[in-house]
Amino acid sequence: MISFAIFFFFAAVAVIFAAMVVLHRNPVVGALSLVASFFALAVMYVLLEAPFLAALQVIVYAGAIMVLFLFVIMLLNLQHQEEPRTRPVQQFLGYTTSAAFGLALIYYLAKYGVTKLPDGLFVSDARTIGIKMFEGYIFPFEMVSILLLAAIVGALLLSNRSDLAKKEETS
Amino acid sequence: MHGIDWVDLGLSGLKIAVVLGAMLNVTPIMVWVERRGSALIQDRPGPNRVGPLGLFQSFADALKFILKEDMLPAKANKVLYTIAPMFGLIPALTTIAVVPWGRPFLLPGGRLFEPIIANVNIGILLIFALASMGVYGIVMAGWASANKYSLFGGIRASAQMISYELSLTLAAVSALMVAGSLSLPDVVWRQTGSFVLFNVIKLPAWNIFSPAMWIAFVVFFVSSFAETNRLPFDFAEAEAELVAGYHTEYSSMKFALFFMSEYMAMATMSALITTLFLGGWDIPWYNEPPNALGFALSVLSFVVKVSVLLFIFVWVRWTIPRLKYDLLMKLGWKVFLPAAVINIVIVALFIAKRWI
Amino acid sequence: MIPTHWFLILSAILFTIGVCGVLTRKNGITIFMCIELMVNAVNLTFVAYARQFHQIHGLLFVFFVMAIAAAEAAVGLAIFISLFHHRHTIDVDEANLMRW
Repeated sequence: MISFAIFFFFAAVAVIFAAMVVLHRNPVVGALSLVASFFALAVMYVLLEAPFLAALQVIVYAGAIMVLFLFVIMLLNLQHQEEPRTRPVQQFLGYTTSAAFGLALIYYLAKYGVTKLPDGLFVSDARTIGIKMFEGYIFPFEMVSILLLAAIVGALLLSNRSDLAKKEETS
Repeated sequence: MHGIDWVDLGLSGLKIAVVLGAMLNVTPIMVWVERRGSALIQDRPGPNRVGPLGLFQSFADALKFILKEDMLPAKANKVLYTIAPMFGLIPALTTIAVVPWGRPFLLPGGRLFEPIIANVNIGILLIFALASMGVYGIVMAGWASANKYSLFGGIRASAQMISYELSLTLAAVSALMVAGSLSLPDVVWRQTGSFVLFNVIKLPAWNIFSPAMWIAFVVFFVSSFAETNRLPFDFAEAEAELVAGYHTEYSSMKFALFFMSEYMAMATMSALITTLFLGGWDIPWYNEPPNALGFALSVLSFVVKVSVLLFIFVWVRWTIPRLKYDLLMKLGWKVFLPAAVINIVIVALFIAKRWI
Repeated sequence: MIPTHWFLILSAILFTIGVCGVLTRKNGITIFMCIELMVNAVNLTFVAYARQFHQIHGLLFVFFVMAIAAAEAAVGLAIFISLFHHRHTIDVDEANLMRW
């Protein structure tokens, strides 16, 4: 019973802060609401018996990626700019199509929802995940590490472009 | 609601009260230790007017904090300015929940009393997750103060904290690899007992006594200074350079919250260092019996170890000069991160060859 | 126990909010944040189904998705910084040099 209360409370938190990301004009407030939303999602993962992933969600998403977003927002001095209003046509079309899409999704999910849960314990701690990863998923694991290396090199190169341009101008 | 274990709930409440009380009392005690300790190192008397040996100085400081005027800068973002100090307290008060502070012992009713608030499987990941939340307090404080020195200090401090979180995590992984589990009670149980060196010296089986972990200990120890923004890594709140960094515009209780969260983070880091490397609650060369006496002695041993580490924090602050910011970042990325990774390889080698 | 389709409905709501944000906003970084929201909604679906069928493959997928989303965020933000240095605005409607 108490897990239902926790589910509804944190689901409401996640949805409300996600809506604030979309509706608020200031990007810093949007980034911080997204952090709150990610934290609520981490609680959802705990309710789904995956505590390892909940901790990873907070460490990777809320603790690293969103800090990167905040740094970029502050680096580009966007915190004081309020963006101009979108054209009403685009707003109307955007809201209606996404609402239609969302309502269709929710309708079909609620209609064909599977309610029977399998019994038994779901073992999902770090040891099981680690063993499974190094048994069956070792190739994607190594690929992801090379991908992260490529991303680091790419990010460094892309954000250095302005220094190269200035050097070409002065030389 | 049937089937609630009231005894369990009561014991949990007692544990929470004890740990919360201990954490909240760390700040006044550390303020006194800091001021008298710095005076000792600098060969001057220190506060000795308020009470014997200046022991009531912390009360006077607390009273001053409460009675000062609580300001709000005109251009500041009111909501974020107010909640930023609260984010600083989150890692300080919540991460201590997964650290074991005594030996589990049997209560008279046959129930096992585990002196840890939350014995979860993923113990140390919770510490890393909640420590990442502490960065937001600094970023929000720097941004919401509408002051460019605060913004610079905030960005620098949070960049420093993120960089050193990496080497902290990787250095802790070495101790976790040896224990084979993510939960801290398992790490401490692995360090009880002793091993014999060269057939002559009997050493307690603490992680710090095995050569595979020396690099990890140094990396973790120094990174914990950088995580808590203590000298020699406090460029972001240096008095001479940036006024007071990200808490320039804060006064009275909000500043007191930042102040308290720094000392509480120091205490949590010291508790973590003792748990991972110094054997936690283990008393060296002594097998604690699983009763109340063993529990009390183990708690005393834990408190002594944490206190020694806290004194070393204060000692280093008044001895070593401050590191310049680019040297600080170079040290974090180019020295500590490779050293921590190399140490993981060394520990893996030791485990494979069964030397550990 | 909470039925799985409640989690799926929550995931659908978050995905819809993300789609709405991508279609309606003009600030490039806000659009990127809504994309991250959509990715997280899909992660929630993966974990819900992993619990439903007691299979750990869903959790491993989420692990890889998180790693890839981190790489994508780094490169995407670097692209935005580069765009900002050239056009001095982060409005995506202004990135229109290739429009006829």
